[in-house]
Amino acid sequence: MVRLSRRRFLIGAGLGSLALVSSPLLAGKVAAPGDAPQARPIPSTGEHLPAIGMGTWITFNVGSDQRLVDQRTRVLETFLERGGSVIDCSPMYGSSADVVGAALETLDARDRIFAASKIWTGDGSETREQAASSARRWGIPRFDLLQVHNLLSWQEHLATLKDMKARGDVRYLGITTSHGRRHDELARVIETEDLDFVQLTYNVLDREAEKRLLPLAHERGVAVIVNRPFQGGSLFRRFQSEPLPNWAGEAGIETWAAFFLKFIISHPAVTCAIPATTRIDHMRENMAAMYGTLPDAGQRRMMAEYVRQL
Amino acid sequence: MSGASWLSYSLQDFVMFGPEVLLRLFIRINEAVWPWQSLWLVAGLLLPWLARQSAEWPRRMAMALAGLAWIGCGYLFMVRYYGPVNTPATWFGWAFVFQGLLLLMLRGRALPVPLGLSLAVAGWLVILVLPWLAVLQSGDVRALALFGMAPGVTVAATVLLFARQPLLLRWFLLLVPLAWSLFSALTYWSLGTYWLLGFPVAALVILVVALRVSPSPVQSRDLRSARPDPERRLP
Repeated sequence: MVRLSRRRFLIGAGLGSLALVSSPLLAGKVAAPGDAPQARPIPSTGEHLPAIGMGTWITFNVGSDQRLVDQRTRVLETFLERGGSVIDCSPMYGSSADVVGAALETLDARDRIFAASKIWTGDGSETREQAASSARRWGIPRFDLLQVHNLLSWQEHLATLKDMKARGDVRYLGITTSHGRRHDELARVIETEDLDFVQLTYNVLDREAEKRLLPLAHERGVAVIVNRPFQGGSLFRRFQSEPLPNWAGEAGIETWAAFFLKFIISHPAVTCAIPATTRIDHMRENMAAMYGTLPDAGQRRMMAEYVRQL
Repeated sequence: MSGASWLSYSLQDFVMFGPEVLLRLFIRINEAVWPWQSLWLVAGLLLPWLARQSAEWPRRMAMALAGLAWIGCGYLFMVRYYGPVNTPATWFGWAFVFQGLLLLMLRGRALPVPLGLSLAVAGWLVILVLPWLAVLQSGDVRALALFGMAPGVTVAATVLLFARQPLLLRWFLLLVPLAWSLFSALTYWSLGTYWLLGFPVAALVILVVALRVSPSPVQSRDLRSARPDPERRLP
């Protein structure tokens, strides 16, 4: 998003009204069924984002395989058709940035996305160079969000990102972790730094973030992007053969994908979950979780208890 | 990063591509070189035959052929195709190219002794049977992993030549094959592409067998200096 006026208009027009029906404070309440996607405000600006984004770890690292690049382009097309806009990537993800760039070019969709990438280098002086390199690979002039990947050299990178934000070279800044690692350090960063976003792992089984990080982010006005919502696919391997609970329909849940994703995005502190997939049918399932009813607090407790008992 | 933090990583966390991408590599490289891979098949079948000749020049040719195969699969498969999705594959690819150049430079030394029939048969089996592992894994006959193009078959088919070299040179030449076998085995395991584990396993089995049936130093004039036999008085 890059040309701010056009993109802000497109996304704002699509999502601005959705804010009225999908404030995080209203999580658990019924949105108009079958129509508007769940959207969440970025606390630092109030700009709204669709509650389901797209991760690219592993799934978009297909190198120069044109057949797979074309197939991933169709996955991205489905994502955009279903109301998605947040795409998250990293220089760590091999060729993923190039493939995202090629897909955006094919779909002529660069002004329809919220582009999020990461800074992943131990050299604290390379922040700008890596951001520029990633932007070239995506084919965009600048990112909406740049995050320090896995807290690597975060002090140096964050200082530069703040400067870049002040100059308008990036709109938002943040920091990431995954797999539940280094939560204490991440909490200190949230407490002491002026962040727009934090990215962490949270799902129906990995709930460590509920204790401190999610309330802290909520209190500090930091948007939360959730990675590994399916625990790298292992939630499906573990539970897909099991039946959904008989009360799932009341919580707006028809598939296990919806079960896992709605559990996440119904948390009041969560802005967006970023599942990754290589399949169009799975992308449709993921995006369907962004529509309809969300579980309320009581149903969320039942969801966690249900998978614990399986 | 603390030790405890490292312990939270699993093997899968270090593999950043999926099995579909890996298996497509075999198909893509076959499509890219079609129909010239048939030449590599012939060259692969020639390799054990050349290596078991008593005259020295065919054995030199065997070493040169092995060198070309390492350069071919190192650059084309590893650097060009595999590297973009797996950075360590690029490093291994250049190591393969270096190993191939080394083999070309060593061709003058040839093999100290001709290959025995049992090892030659093992070599032919590798060339003809092992490529089908990629077909079994992918379910696509276009994924045939041929000698000179796919690293697993190339390594397995040539380690038997390395095992016949004098001690120091032997282990120097085995460094890259052993490192690759370990790396690829971990990759295949974490991706769940279990049929492909046959490549590193075959390479290691052939290596062990080749080392066990290697001629003793007293059988080969060239190997005497590698491990002097005190019981044998040389003139």
